[in-house]
Amino acid sequence: MAHLLQTPFISSSSSPALRRAPTLRRKATAPLVVRAKIREIFMPALSSTMTEGKIVSWTKSEGDKLSKGDSVVVVESDKADMDVETFYDGYLAAIVVEEGGVAAVGSPIAFLAESEDEIPQAKSKASSSSSASAPAPAPAPAPAPAPVESQPEKVAAPVSTAAAAAPVVASSHPASEGGKRIVASPYAKKLAKELKVELGRIVGTGPMGRIVAKDVEAFAAAGNVAAAAAPGKSAVPAGVDLGSVVPFTTMQNAVSRNMVESLAVPTFRVGYTITTDALDALYKKIKLKGVTMTALLAKATALALIRHPVMNSSCRDGNSFTYNSSINVAVAVATDGGLITPVLQDADKIDVYSLSRKWKELVDKARAKQLQPHEYSTGTFTLSNLGMFGVDRFDAILPPGTGAIMAVGASQPTVVATKDGRIGMKNQMQVNVTADHRVIYGADVASFLQTLSKIIEDPKDLTF
Amino acid sequence: MHSSLSLSFSATSSSAATVSRSRYSFHAPAAVPLNLRFCGLRREAFGSGLAASLNRNLPRRPHSAAVSAALSNNGSTPKSFDYDLLIIGAGVGGHGAALHAVEKGLKTAIVEGDVVGGTCVNRGCVPSKALLAVSGRMRELKSDHHLKSFGLQVSAAGYDRQGVADHANNLASKIRNNLTNSMKALGVDILTGFGTILGPQKVKVGSSNKIVTAKDIIIATGSVPFVPKGIEIDGKTVITSDHALKLESVPDWIAIVGSGYIGLEFSDVYTALGSEVTFIEALDQLMPGFDPEISKLAQRVLINPRNIDYHTGVFATKITPARDGKPVLIELIDAKTKEPKDTLEVDAALIATGRAPFTQGLGLENIDVVTQRGFVPVDERMRVIDANGKLVPHLYCIGDANGKMMLAHAASAQGISVVEQVTGKDHVLNHLSIPAACFTHPEISMVGLTEPQAREKGEKEGFEVSVAKTSFKANTKALAENEGEGLAKLIYRPDNGEILGVHIFGLHAADLIHEASNAIALGTRIQDIKFAVHAHPTLSEVLDELFKSAKVKARASSPVSEPVAV
Repeated sequence: MAHLLQTPFISSSSSPALRRAPTLRRKATAPLVVRAKIREIFMPALSSTMTEGKIVSWTKSEGDKLSKGDSVVVVESDKADMDVETFYDGYLAAIVVEEGGVAAVGSPIAFLAESEDEIPQAKSKASSSSSASAPAPAPAPAPAPAPVESQPEKVAAPVSTAAAAAPVVASSHPASEGGKRIVASPYAKKLAKELKVELGRIVGTGPMGRIVAKDVEAFAAAGNVAAAAAPGKSAVPAGVDLGSVVPFTTMQNAVSRNMVESLAVPTFRVGYTITTDALDALYKKIKLKGVTMTALLAKATALALIRHPVMNSSCRDGNSFTYNSSINVAVAVATDGGLITPVLQDADKIDVYSLSRKWKELVDKARAKQLQPHEYSTGTFTLSNLGMFGVDRFDAILPPGTGAIMAVGASQPTVVATKDGRIGMKNQMQVNVTADHRVIYGADVASFLQTLSKIIEDPKDLTF
Repeated sequence: MHSSLSLSFSATSSSAATVSRSRYSFHAPAAVPLNLRFCGLRREAFGSGLAASLNRNLPRRPHSAAVSAALSNNGSTPKSFDYDLLIIGAGVGGHGAALHAVEKGLKTAIVEGDVVGGTCVNRGCVPSKALLAVSGRMRELKSDHHLKSFGLQVSAAGYDRQGVADHANNLASKIRNNLTNSMKALGVDILTGFGTILGPQKVKVGSSNKIVTAKDIIIATGSVPFVPKGIEIDGKTVITSDHALKLESVPDWIAIVGSGYIGLEFSDVYTALGSEVTFIEALDQLMPGFDPEISKLAQRVLINPRNIDYHTGVFATKITPARDGKPVLIELIDAKTKEPKDTLEVDAALIATGRAPFTQGLGLENIDVVTQRGFVPVDERMRVIDANGKLVPHLYCIGDANGKMMLAHAASAQGISVVEQVTGKDHVLNHLSIPAACFTHPEISMVGLTEPQAREKGEKEGFEVSVAKTSFKANTKALAENEGEGLAKLIYRPDNGEILGVHIFGLHAADLIHEASNAIALGTRIQDIKFAVHAHPTLSEVLDELFKSAKVKARASSPVSEPVAV
């Protein structure tokens, strides 16, 4: 209890967390490699019928020294609350399942390091166990909001890595002392903790510029929302009860809110037809090296964005806009039961090979529902490609909080008349950009698309 | 069968009342249950036992008419009185006293300067229950997983603020009318105007200089919300419970200063209606008045999952209402170091830091009574004590104005106790048998001591203290309602089975507590009550199981009853 009260507010224990936690964490356990010196603290079976337990409170905090027999955590089973003791001496290095979270019996809920030196190691283990994947080979800055972040948000604020799209706080709160203090409503704080979003990176839209719950949700879902309802895979999966009323899931709720919110943004669309023969040829050549078309498109887009920074800007409050400092290209991916937009961070700086590897890793994670928030919510420009379904052109909804989204159709052989009066066959694809007209004007999009088409039609820059 | 049994009991008990006054009777192990009840009542009257024993040594003031006639030789007091009993303040306490006085054949009048019903009916318990009834339903309708588990489908629930406010207001006026009518019907005179005590047995009503005399006077003027200094109330954005109950707005973000009953109940209302809440608590722990275990659980259920955050160990030194486009500003300092800690900006602030007695202008100086922080000093029989520590004859003070236990039903019980005394029957109210409840969802209720209090007392007086607990998770009815979250806790003496305290957190806890409070009031021991039968399946089985799980060394005291043909 005493521990609980020291924090300005209690960690997430609301129902969304409950629903989320088990799927996230149970999967996390599988690829764990246990070395002798870093031990896991498992969710104990407190009764014969217990299959999962809820963490009531951590009686020790991260970094605390533990002796064998110390009570570390209070677990609620189907019958009662029980203190759980540690069997080893050491340091509580990382808490994997926060207070209020639920974990299956036998799954790790924390890591115990034998000595203080091993705490960072255990921490990284904890974060990798929840993302279940090797760290990115690319020099991505990886702000890594470790899942064990137990700091009060206010402290965590300035930690946000410069590389991450740190938005200029435009609507400064009257009492936020120039952005030093973050004014966020109680639910927004709770939600931010739950969704592992740093409040410092969110621009509030509530009264007096306060961060409210919907800002956090919008920020977290910004990636998820890219294109409007992607068809394809979502066509009536098996087991759908026809005629039934299905309440929105938390994610669907967030998407729904975001979609409605997007109506408040005055958008317009500009289309362009790009010849892809050269790009296709390049792709054929480097495909064997593991380069994907998505990576090539993202790279091309990023290179075009360098020259048109306004296309990479965002307007959140209607009074000002931010030139984002990094070019993070989000790409919509349809997943089982939803849509997510993994982000290729700094797509302009990373070579296309690394970008391809990164992309593959992100897609794998997305399929396994193990993407970390920074991996899907930090996009500054979104790509949505339905070409693989044979769609030749479509229209995307602008995710709130970003400036533009580009819908990419299929590249198809097309009969074209060339300037020299001949008729020929060329592969062409249509792209269609939806942009926020408050900050991005028609000429901006047009010149961006012109640049993009030049890059794609002469793709030598894509491979450096 | 039931009714016939209880009838015969009450008949005997009234005759036994005069006999069982002996405070030694509880030492007799073979005492019949009737005696036990009364000793229970006597012995537990006060936690310390000090005040009680002191007063027992005082010459007992006779209550017969003959003596007051003798007293009336004093020149300043009138020879004949307008009324037998005059009650200043028509709140729940005054009302309870008036009704009982009429029953006892006293000519009674009640003085009210505002509206009948007092705080409870107009600005407290009653309208807040109306709001809480709404919030409980909203909560159910908004709880997706709860509804789903019932197989129910409800599309988005919404509310009309004015409709909710009207419900609270209508309920208050309905109860107020009921109260007024019940007194009128019984022939209680309702005198309108503020009552001022001019001298012994003499009260001025209102500004009209109308002077009324009465043989006995009860002060029942109640209390008003306490507002610490530095806090500016504007009634719109910085409010007290008086304003909040009108529900003129539902702010997006409201800070509640104080996490006691009032604060908790309002947090329940506001969060159900969509507000976000920040608690500001001066002590290190939320819900400081409750049993620690209960408050811990309550925090897990009532605070953590809701849109509530909190600051503990801080004082709000300055609260400025919203104006000129600025939000409500709250300056916080550390409660211990007094150093500035934080500044909050919220849409509204509710001050729920307790209540202050409403005793100003009562004319207490005319009878040489000095209030203590505004409270009227009284002894355990509610007799007013003057500046010299002497009892003021014929003057009593009940309810919030004396500060003993600031609960409506406690005031009423004190009033009844006073009427018993002025009609010639000595009576001391056992405050430890008075239950209290907090009407959150789920509810919290309690009677008697908390566990730390009981342990302290046990240590001091040399008895062992045990604790038994049962969970609502094991109760069929609670599970049928999908409300298995809850705990009942019994604090008792294993040596003799005395119930020291019961605390319940769970569905309908406020209604469940009375089995325990009655047991304490009547001195019923666990070894006896555990044989009482509870209907199945009901929530009351939570208490049944609680009593059964207690391990008492003493044997059941009731002899085998005569077989009754069914």
